[in-house]
Amino acid sequence: MTTVSIQIERVSKRYRIGALRRDYTTLRDRLADLVKRRPRDPEHAEVWALRDVDLELPQGEALGLIGHNGAGKSTLLKILSRITEPTSGRVLLHGRVASLLEVGTGFHPELTGRENIFLNGAILGMSREEIRRNFDAIVAFAEIEKFLDTPVKRFSSGMYVRLAFAVAAHLTPEILLVDEVLAVGDIDFQRRCLGRMNEVARSGRTVIFVSHNLSSIEALCRQTVLMSRGQVALQGPTREVLAGYLSRRGASAVVDLRAFTDRQGEGRARIIGLEILDETGTRSLDALPFGRSFRARIYFSANERLSGAAFGFGLVSNAGERIFITESWELGRTYDLEPGEGSVDCFVEAPNVVPGTYRFELWISDLPGVRATDYLTLIGEIEVTVGEETLASGPAAMVTSLASGVRGFVWVHSSWGGIEPRRYTSAADT
Amino acid sequence: MTVTRTLVIQPTRGWRSLNLGEVWEYRDLLLIFAWRDLKVRYRQTLLGAAWVMGQPIVSMLIFTLLFNRIARLESKPGVPYPLFVLSGVILWNFISGAIQRSGNSLLGASHLISKVYFPRLVIPLSNGVTDAVDLVLAAILLIPLMLWYGVMPPLAILMAPFVVLFAGVFAIGAGFWIAALNVEYRDVRILIPWVLQIAMYIAPVVYPLTAVPARWRWAAILNPATGFIEAFRATLFGTPCDWVAVAWSLFAALALFVSGAYFFRRMERLFADEL
Repeated sequence: MTTVSIQIERVSKRYRIGALRRDYTTLRDRLADLVKRRPRDPEHAEVWALRDVDLELPQGEALGLIGHNGAGKSTLLKILSRITEPTSGRVLLHGRVASLLEVGTGFHPELTGRENIFLNGAILGMSREEIRRNFDAIVAFAEIEKFLDTPVKRFSSGMYVRLAFAVAAHLTPEILLVDEVLAVGDIDFQRRCLGRMNEVARSGRTVIFVSHNLSSIEALCRQTVLMSRGQVALQGPTREVLAGYLSRRGASAVVDLRAFTDRQGEGRARIIGLEILDETGTRSLDALPFGRSFRARIYFSANERLSGAAFGFGLVSNAGERIFITESWELGRTYDLEPGEGSVDCFVEAPNVVPGTYRFELWISDLPGVRATDYLTLIGEIEVTVGEETLASGPAAMVTSLASGVRGFVWVHSSWGGIEPRRYTSAADT
Repeated sequence: MTVTRTLVIQPTRGWRSLNLGEVWEYRDLLLIFAWRDLKVRYRQTLLGAAWVMGQPIVSMLIFTLLFNRIARLESKPGVPYPLFVLSGVILWNFISGAIQRSGNSLLGASHLISKVYFPRLVIPLSNGVTDAVDLVLAAILLIPLMLWYGVMPPLAILMAPFVVLFAGVFAIGAGFWIAALNVEYRDVRILIPWVLQIAMYIAPVVYPLTAVPARWRWAAILNPATGFIEAFRATLFGTPCDWVAVAWSLFAALALFVSGAYFFRRMERLFADEL
């Protein structure tokens, strides 16, 4: 039997926006208005952050909420967590609600780790008894035993975040609302956070999870809602909604670089476009399923004749770290370019790049290995997804860790042997 | 099956109930906020205590010199002027401090308000608790001074906590109004210190109420702080007090507290959007 946990009925939220509004109202102005009988606040722009949102969520479901900035995800979460009221409509929440819109809300830098656990716990809605019961678990999770009595202003940012998340991770409401909070802390800690979220999601609690990290949505949520301009644009199984979202995002398949100016090199030839296609080159791809071969089609325009030129293609992380590159001359391929436009395909076979969002790096060398005449990095954007095949065939643990964004960037094929009765000896022992 | 609470979220209009039951549920949070503020203030123990105790002493010395020695202002019969003015300053500091702090409390907590739900009334209320602790610390100063002057408190001193309680009710009531207005109108916070400055001299802090000519006395009595200061001194020193002033202050405190709480609740829905 499924019981409904969250019912959202035609919820709308209107904001007055600052553009036409005075910086702030003063009592003096207001009194002057009264005396002069001017109407109150005659001009202000309105914006509908949410418009007639209807959603129903059964108990125990983990729902992902995605969408561009300003699509209304956070507003919806704020209404559900009672921070702000809807302008119209109604929400029914069946069960105790806790929301986590930020880690470490209310932390006070002057107070010690111990004191902040109680403070933050109370702010998040835990009773003192509950905090006391979970205290040791929180401390262990955060790994800050030694610093319990140090003011948190002396904590490293890593410790701070670990402590903050540890408190939040021990909330045990029936309904949990989480906004983009996992993208913090070091790699190992992120994995534990995701693991913890997974536990929460699988323990029969209802979770709404907002994130820009599509991989973690994919790992945690069976159902996903795509918001767009304050409305529900798509709703259904996570994989379908993500596919819809990626194809809407569109821009990832073809990157127009004709007007792109942030490049290096003297520019005897320029890269003017990039398209990501499937293996056979027949279909544009909006996203790359994990491990799938693809081809990158580089469009260029040469201003003069170039002989012995080479092309380069690479993937970089959002932070600009290089994941891999491939350059044509290393593989025995150079080109003689004539003035005019053309394109070159680069075939990438079964890249073991773990799911996540990546960007591209492209260049044309007129002196291969020495100098690029046109070089661009951090362009475009593509999502490497977990992919249906991986989901269907891979062990669950692998799928989860693939999606957690803590694997580094490369998946290696590996296996592990059994334990052998060997002893370690080295030359120094004899 | 376990019984689950259903929470309905929908737009509200106009006045709404105080929902005191919920404030009670969040009493832990209220106390933790107060505890946090105290802890932070007294973290450097010496400095914190020095501030709370030093300020009234300095005021006492200045007022004694200025109004008693130079201007020849007298205190109530049987109470030396320094003791008289110190008791006034301590209670006045409590009242004006609580008004200001609870009045500004929402602006200070704007970050919390935009990230977490809890009954917002908890914020100014917790400030009242913090200020009450400050008052108790400052009141310790009275003990050596009373011993020095050989002033014995009457049995009525047992009523002093109630005087403080109602003075707090008054201050927080005013704080509710100011806090809620502060969110809409940002010039309120500039206005308040100014009003309080004037109000201090319309209250019998540095002079006894009897020193005010009878036909102007109503103006001082109208200030709700007057009744509390009168009553506070009566409980400490057994001096006679103006019962009309006390009755008016009690009434004003309750009226301000209840109306302030309702006004605060009415404005509450704007807090997260406006702050």
